[in-house]
Amino acid sequence: MRTDDATVAPMVEFRGVSKWFGTTQVLRDISLSVAPSEVVVVIGPSGSGKTTLLRCVSLLEEYEAGEITVAGEMIGYRIAANGERVRRSEREIAAARAKIGFVFQSFNLFPHMTVLRNVAVGPIRVNKMPREKAEAVARDLIGRVGLADKVDAHPVSLSGGQQQRVAIARALAMQPKLMLFDEVTSALDPELVDEVLGVMQQLARDGMTMIVVTHEMQFAHDVADRVIFMDHGAIVEEGDPATLLANPRSERLRAFMRRHIQGWARNLPQNPMTIERNP
Amino acid sequence: MLPEILISNFWLLLQGAERTLELSLATAFFSSATGLAAALLRTFGRWPFRIAVDVYVYVVRGVPLLLLLFFMYYGLPYSGIDVAPIPGGILVMSIYFGAFMSEVFRAAVEALPRAQWDAARSLGMRLPLILGIVVLPQAVRLSAPAFINTCILLIKSTSLVSIIGLSELTMVGRQIVERTFAPFQILLGVALIYFVICYSLSRLGRYAEQRMRHAH
Ligand SMILES: Nc1ncnc2c1ncn2[C@@H]1O[C@H](COP(=O)(O)OP(=O)(O)OP(=O)(O)O)[C@@H](O)[C@H]1O
Ligand SMILES: [Mg+2]
Repeated sequence: MRTDDATVAPMVEFRGVSKWFGTTQVLRDISLSVAPSEVVVVIGPSGSGKTTLLRCVSLLEEYEAGEITVAGEMIGYRIAANGERVRRSEREIAAARAKIGFVFQSFNLFPHMTVLRNVAVGPIRVNKMPREKAEAVARDLIGRVGLADKVDAHPVSLSGGQQQRVAIARALAMQPKLMLFDEVTSALDPELVDEVLGVMQQLARDGMTMIVVTHEMQFAHDVADRVIFMDHGAIVEEGDPATLLANPRSERLRAFMRRHIQGWARNLPQNPMTIERNP
Repeated sequence: MLPEILISNFWLLLQGAERTLELSLATAFFSSATGLAAALLRTFGRWPFRIAVDVYVYVVRGVPLLLLLFFMYYGLPYSGIDVAPIPGGILVMSIYFGAFMSEVFRAAVEALPRAQWDAARSLGMRLPLILGIVVLPQAVRLSAPAFINTCILLIKSTSLVSIIGLSELTMVGRQIVERTFAPFQILLGVALIYFVICYSLSRLGRYAEQRMRHAH
C-alpha cells in the first residue's frame, strides 16, 4: 500500500505544528509526512492530543504555529508576501474540508435525514452534483458498507456499527483525498467493532490515504504502514507496526503497551477482519 | 338551572374569540419571525448585533406588556403618531413576544450538539447551508415544546389589548356583563373558551414532543 518512493509528494505534511488551548499546549512541534495511499495509525494515552491532531487537519480546530498541507495546499492559512500567516477565506477553508473525510467517534449522522440523504446531501449541496447522480453514488456506497437494505432508515433505528458505516459512506461520497478516523470503534459494543474495521481495511486495500486514531492494536498491526505514538502533544515514537508494537523503545510507549496489550493479546480474534454482511 | 344568559350570548363571545385568534395568529407569526432573526443575530452576528439583541431582550422582558401597550396607545399620540388599535396591538405584542421567542430559538440552536456542526463542516458546508439544512430543521423540533408554551402565554395575553379598546374575547365578555349583570355565567364562559383553545394547544405540544422523541 505504501509507496516508499521519496519522489512522491506527500499527501499530508505537518511541519512544526503547535497548538494551544488557552495557555495549555496540546500539540508540540509535530512534524509528520504521510504518503499517498499510506495508512498511519496514531496511538497514545487519553489527552495526548490525537483528536486535536486530526481536527487540525480539517481545521475543525485552529493551529497557532507551523503548517499542515494536504496535497500541497496549506490548510486554513496562507503565507502572505510579507511572511505573515493569513487565515484563508471561509470559502477556501470549506473547499479544503470537502476533500478530507472525517469519521467521528460518535458517528454524528444527521438524525433528521434518512441514510440515503445523509450520504447524498454533501455531494448535492456542496459539490452541486445532480440529485439522481448523487443518490446513485450514495446507494452504491451504502451497498458497499453492507447497508443496502437501510437506505430509507433514519439513523436512530440503526445499531452503532451500522451508523458508523453510514458515516464512513457519507465521508466517502465526497470523494476525499484523505480519510481521518478518530477512535471510530470506541463507542461501539465489542461485537460491532469488526464490521467497521473491516470496511476500513477494505478502504486501505483500495489505496485510500488514511490517518487512524485507534486503540485497536490488532488493526494497527494488520493494516497500518506506520504507527505513531503520541504523548503529551508530541510524537514520541514512530515506526512500522510490527517493530514498534513488539519492541517499544521508549519507556512511555512500553508503559502504554503494558496497559493495552493484555487486552489485545487475549482477545485476538480468529479472523478479525471479516466484514459482517447484512442478509 | 341552565345558564340561559350565557347561552343567548354565546355567539357574541365566539365572535370575540375569533378576534382573539386572529390577534394571536398574527402575533405568533410576527413574533416568531422577529425571534428567529434576533436569535440568529445573537448567536452568529457580529458584536454590535449581539449587544443590540441583548438590550432588546432584557429591556422587553423587564417591562410589563400592559405598560408597552399604554405607551403605544397613550404615549405615541402625544408625539403626533397615531397607530390604529389592531395593527398597534399586534405590533406591540410581536415586539414583546419576539423577545421571548428569540430565547426559545436561541436555546434550541445552542442545545444542538457541537458534533452536528463538526459533521456539517467536515463535509465542506458553510454557515448559511449548515443553518438551513442541519441546524434549523433540528432546532425547530427541539424548540417545539417551549414554542407552544410561549404561544399559550401569548394567546392569554391578548386579553390585555381589551384595555386599548379592541373587542376581543375578554372585552366582549366585559361588555356583555355590563349589559346583563350576569358576571359569573359570562366570565365562566369566557374562561372556558380560553381554556379550550389553550388546552388543545398544550395537547398538540405534547403530541409534537412525543413524536419528536420517537423520531430521534
Ligand atoms: N476544546 C478544548 N478546550 C480546552 N482544552 C481542550 C479542548 N479539547 C481538548 N482539550 C485538551 O487538549 C488535550 C488533548 O485533547 P485530545 O482530545 O486531543 O486528546 P486525545 O488524545 O484525543 O484523548 P482521548 O484518547 O481521550 O480521546 C487534553 O488535555 C484536553 O483536555
Ligand atoms: Mg480523542
